Amino acid sequence: MEEAEKILTEKESLELISQMINKAKNSYHDSGIGPILWGSVIALCSLVTFLQIRFDFPLPFDIWYLTLIAILPQILIVRKEKKKNKVRSYDNITMDYVWTSFGIGIFILVFINANIVSHLNPIFQTYIDVKGTRPNFNYSSFSTSFFLLLYGFPTIITGGCMKMKPMLIGGIICWIAAIVSVYTTIQWDMLLTAFAAISAWLIPGIIMMKRNKKSQANNV
Amino acid sequence: MFKELDPILHSQLRLAVVSLLISVKEAEFTFLKEKTNSSAGNLSVQINKLKDAGYIDVAKQFSNNYPQTICKITPIGINAFELYVKALQAYMNPFNKSPS
Repeated sequence: MEEAEKILTEKESLELISQMINKAKNSYHDSGIGPILWGSVIALCSLVTFLQIRFDFPLPFDIWYLTLIAILPQILIVRKEKKKNKVRSYDNITMDYVWTSFGIGIFILVFINANIVSHLNPIFQTYIDVKGTRPNFNYSSFSTSFFLLLYGFPTIITGGCMKMKPMLIGGIICWIAAIVSVYTTIQWDMLLTAFAAISAWLIPGIIMMKRNKKSQANNV
Repeated sequence: MFKELDPILHSQLRLAVVSLLISVKEAEFTFLKEKTNSSAGNLSVQINKLKDAGYIDVAKQFSNNYPQTICKITPIGINAFELYVKALQAYMNPFNKSPS
């Protein structure tokens, strides 16, 4: 496009506009590192919790603290990708809002669950004092369903809007797992969570990383 | 009868730059250069013309000790682009009622 002052016909102008808009539209790329990180961390935490319940062994720390530690590399990944990206599309902004609100939503859900449990504990204690047995109700098992429901939202939005079919399928798996987990015990809920995290983030993340590397190689 | 096409936009490279910028929030100079297949010198001249017309904002900064030029379309630029497209449509479909 060397002749800057080349005068275009009306048809050429419209063709150029459409061509450039299409080029810009395809400028959103996700390296896949974030989904791989979170898919691995959530799957690992869930599997370890499953094994802990199954084989009744304690750990000196709560494995779910790993999710807090993983925030640090996530911040570094976001900063690195922002520096690397030559363009900031409206898709980027939408995705930032979707995933940031999801992250904050998870913390709010943890806070709500902690409050529900603190209110339920005295009720349970009274039940044990009166009946002499533990009630046949474990709130933690239901809280997993809420988490899986929440996992599905940003995953389905990202998969649908960014035309990433594996992520869309992963998001639907989260919602199916949310329904199934209503009928399963906490032990099996953890396996469902691991399966959902692998389907929704780890596998799509690996696919995105491969696609990204391929498109970078083609651009060289 | 026909509205005159905006001379700032009615040139190949400037129209390409504005069409790219209308689709994104902001873009680096290198992105525009790559997508328009233009030379740095030519692109720089055309970006300055768009900036002087108030159609785009240009911010220069440093990233990892490298200079970085970030371009962003302004509300004046968006308005000019919309009018330009409407005028083009009027040229292409002269028997349709003007959308203005």
